[in-house]
Amino acid sequence: MAANRLVGRPVSGESLIPMSQLKTQLVILIGISLSVIVLYGFLYLEHEWEIGLLLVTLPVAILLLKRANMLIYFQTAARMMPRFTLVSFVLGVLALILLLRHEHFALLMLTTVLLYVTVSLGLTIQFGFAGLVNFAAIAFFGIGAYSMAVLNHNFHAVPDLVIILFSGLISALLGALLILPILRTRGHYAALITIAFGILLRTFLEVNDVFGGPQGLKVDGLEILGWDFANSFPSVLGGGSFYMAYAIAALLLAAAAYLLTRLIEASWFGLNMDSVRLDEVASASFGINAPRWKITAFMVGNFFAGLAGAVYAAMSGFIAPASFNFADSLLLVSIVLLGGIGNAVAVIPAALLIVVLPEKFQVIQEYRLLLFGIVVILILRFRPNGLIPRGLRQYFTGSSA
Amino acid sequence: MDPGFFAQYLINGLVQGITYALVAVGFTLFFGVLDVIKFSHGDVLMLGAFTALALFLGLDQLSTPAWLSLTIMLCLGVVAMALLGALLCKFLVLPLKESPPLNTLLITLMFGSVIREGVRLFFPNGSNPKPFPALLPETSINWGNLNLRLDSVILIFTGAMAIVLTHLFIQKTRMGLAIRAVAQDEETARLMGINFNKTVLMTFALGSGLAALSGISTGLYYQEINFSMGLMLGVIGFSAAVVGGLGSIYGAIVGGLLFAFLQTLGAIWFSVPAYKDVFAFTVIIMLMAWRPTGLLADRSAERV
Amino acid sequence: MRPAVLKTEDLTVKFGGLKALNGLDFELCEGQFLGLIGPNGSGKTTFFNALTGIYRPASGNVFLHGKDITGVSPNKVYGYGITRTFQRLRLATSLSVLDNLIIGNQRNLNFGIWRNIFDRKYFKSQLKEQTEIAEDLLRRFSPDLAALLLKPISSLSMIDRRRVEVCRALISEPKILLLDEPSAGMTPDETRALMDELQGWRAQHPTLSTILIEHEMELINKVSDTCVVLNYGEKIAEGKYSDVSNNPSVRAAYLGED
Repeated sequence: MAANRLVGRPVSGESLIPMSQLKTQLVILIGISLSVIVLYGFLYLEHEWEIGLLLVTLPVAILLLKRANMLIYFQTAARMMPRFTLVSFVLGVLALILLLRHEHFALLMLTTVLLYVTVSLGLTIQFGFAGLVNFAAIAFFGIGAYSMAVLNHNFHAVPDLVIILFSGLISALLGALLILPILRTRGHYAALITIAFGILLRTFLEVNDVFGGPQGLKVDGLEILGWDFANSFPSVLGGGSFYMAYAIAALLLAAAAYLLTRLIEASWFGLNMDSVRLDEVASASFGINAPRWKITAFMVGNFFAGLAGAVYAAMSGFIAPASFNFADSLLLVSIVLLGGIGNAVAVIPAALLIVVLPEKFQVIQEYRLLLFGIVVILILRFRPNGLIPRGLRQYFTGSSA
Repeated sequence: MDPGFFAQYLINGLVQGITYALVAVGFTLFFGVLDVIKFSHGDVLMLGAFTALALFLGLDQLSTPAWLSLTIMLCLGVVAMALLGALLCKFLVLPLKESPPLNTLLITLMFGSVIREGVRLFFPNGSNPKPFPALLPETSINWGNLNLRLDSVILIFTGAMAIVLTHLFIQKTRMGLAIRAVAQDEETARLMGINFNKTVLMTFALGSGLAALSGISTGLYYQEINFSMGLMLGVIGFSAAVVGGLGSIYGAIVGGLLFAFLQTLGAIWFSVPAYKDVFAFTVIIMLMAWRPTGLLADRSAERV
Repeated sequence: MRPAVLKTEDLTVKFGGLKALNGLDFELCEGQFLGLIGPNGSGKTTFFNALTGIYRPASGNVFLHGKDITGVSPNKVYGYGITRTFQRLRLATSLSVLDNLIIGNQRNLNFGIWRNIFDRKYFKSQLKEQTEIAEDLLRRFSPDLAALLLKPISSLSMIDRRRVEVCRALISEPKILLLDEPSAGMTPDETRALMDELQGWRAQHPTLSTILIEHEMELINKVSDTCVVLNYGEKIAEGKYSDVSNNPSVRAAYLGED
């Protein structure tokens, strides 16, 4: 019976390998450990030749694992026990943060990657699921950051966690206001309006004294549940970088965003968003209210961007309009396209590559927009589904889901 | 308001409006034949202006007279961009014909970003604004508060001529007939023996050539160009085309002039200059919501 | 006489200056199988689009069970129990057969945030129920199809895609089914198989009314109770196929060309 197959075991066209629960968990742990080691390499290694070596060996290693049919074990296992996989990955990265606790720069990079992952997950919902383009991702990130700066400064009594949530909400609501008038129109109008918004927001912030003009604003650090992020690790335990607490916060945020993205995907919400993206006329003929799903996707996505922006603002301690450029929005779109449109997992390696490589290679730093532009053109032209294409839709993946 | 000021705003708005209309005509042409949005259009415009500037710098070494420099800059700039437009179409747009329309939008947007970065990185000192030579006569007449610059008049005239010629080309020539046929219905056009690819490439060349023209006009008018100028001009040109009605040349003209009018209005109303664009875009969004198919286009229904 | 389910009065649809439908009066009775014929561009698909709310009529009315539903949105039309297929298939090809069928069963899904995102136990039971409904439908409609339930549409043959599209229209148990030239792109044998399956379905669901747009005259002859002939957006004949096919104006407009 298909119904039993569906809820009892993975659903996929690929061949499946039967494994015991213990073996599944073991395979996941090995896979996650390897990924975390690679992540460590990307963050910790400093010399260009080291990173270069990593970049060359990694694809070869992945290919070899695939050839030896090892990769499919991990894929199957991760599909069987998605929650176990997510928890192990979060714990693995947490261990990595502890390991790197004195490395300011590595932690800053890791936090940036995690915040970019969060924003990219938002784009995945908007763009990958509902087919609604958003070329103003960094503007919504910026709105979150500015909300954080203004609210945190003016409402000391309100807990920071609430303020972060509010920053996300403001971002989501402003986005809804922007897109609402054109929801019933053709898809490329959204592109036009988000581009215009992305460019104009910076000008708007620059001429407004409330937002500090071109000089920007100072932002207070975070204090959540009595934990002051500034002295993040008790000195008894050897102390740690200022960025450590923010890295942990960004990790939890990214994990929550990932979980929510997957839950949306594996529900009727995700199904309807997919349907709207693939064929709006057919969707309407079966009672799907396309504007409703587009606005839902747009709001959730910008909510993610706003939350990430708020954490970023608190971490930087200072924000200015110049940090929120249209070019960065394109970079975020590149992450989604490079990884594989609509594939939530794929944004993690893609964000890692796009954030870390320019930092490690001085040459790339200057040329990064040019290079990533070319990479995305090549991807769209020759591999439009990205490095890790999205698979068939799945609702439940593990026996215990 | 003082009639002199009024006339001044009118003239400045016209120069702007014609520039926007030139960009919008390009969008309308591309959309007409292929139903695609080419977001790199503004950056092609910018590259046209920079190509002309580079030519000028070369010609200046040879102390060429201004009128000759200008002619060479215009001709080569337009031809170079027309070629680029055709190449872009052949290698990036046509191959994606069967993929989702979003992919075409993305690939051209990224292509635009590559052009932009290329100019920023490889044009000498490219990240800073560049002075553009004042090659048009600088004569001007004063009537009360109106300062009528001869170059404004020339630019308005040239832009209008270019649009009229494009219109005549599309209405009166064989190639124009092919373009219209493809815009009507690709399959029928093919059956009638029209070379589809050639027609589309031609259209892209034409639109991109017009972009180069408007880029050079912008340079001549403001006497300064920069690598990011195309981004905003592209977005404005596209808005103008959409508001006028994608696919209609008259619509593009109306849209272009309307946008310039709104900006001028915004500039009069708001003390902060940056708000004039915010104002113009807000009105444009409202118009889009009210009339999604544009002010002038006939309501063509999607085939179901 | 069975009661009229669907009725249009003076229905007119304009594209610019062109009248794609011109003052059409039309009636469909419960359980009837009506063939809609006419040359290319005679307004058949336009008629479907006007019924389902994709086009807004310039004038005239559409009545469902006597209730005026002129110009309501496609979403609502679906809610009233009118579903359709498309001449050029409009399935979500990258999704599975199951997903497409669940999309067709929209009105029986629960869209509460809690029930979708957080209460996964409930969602699982909902999914199981929908899967059973879909599988059951496929098995009854065309037994071999059930095995393809979890396959993406892109891996299916033309006839199976047509079948799935018909099933997507049937799964919500509509009152009226609109079929837009289901034989397009199929061999005569395949068309015949599909029609047999449809007839089998109708035997089990006697109150289902169907309108079929079709080019194959023989097919219309075989399956329809009555037919309506359109030309230039106007009705030029209606009645039994044998009567209609002998009508001189029909022969001139349509059969003469064939």
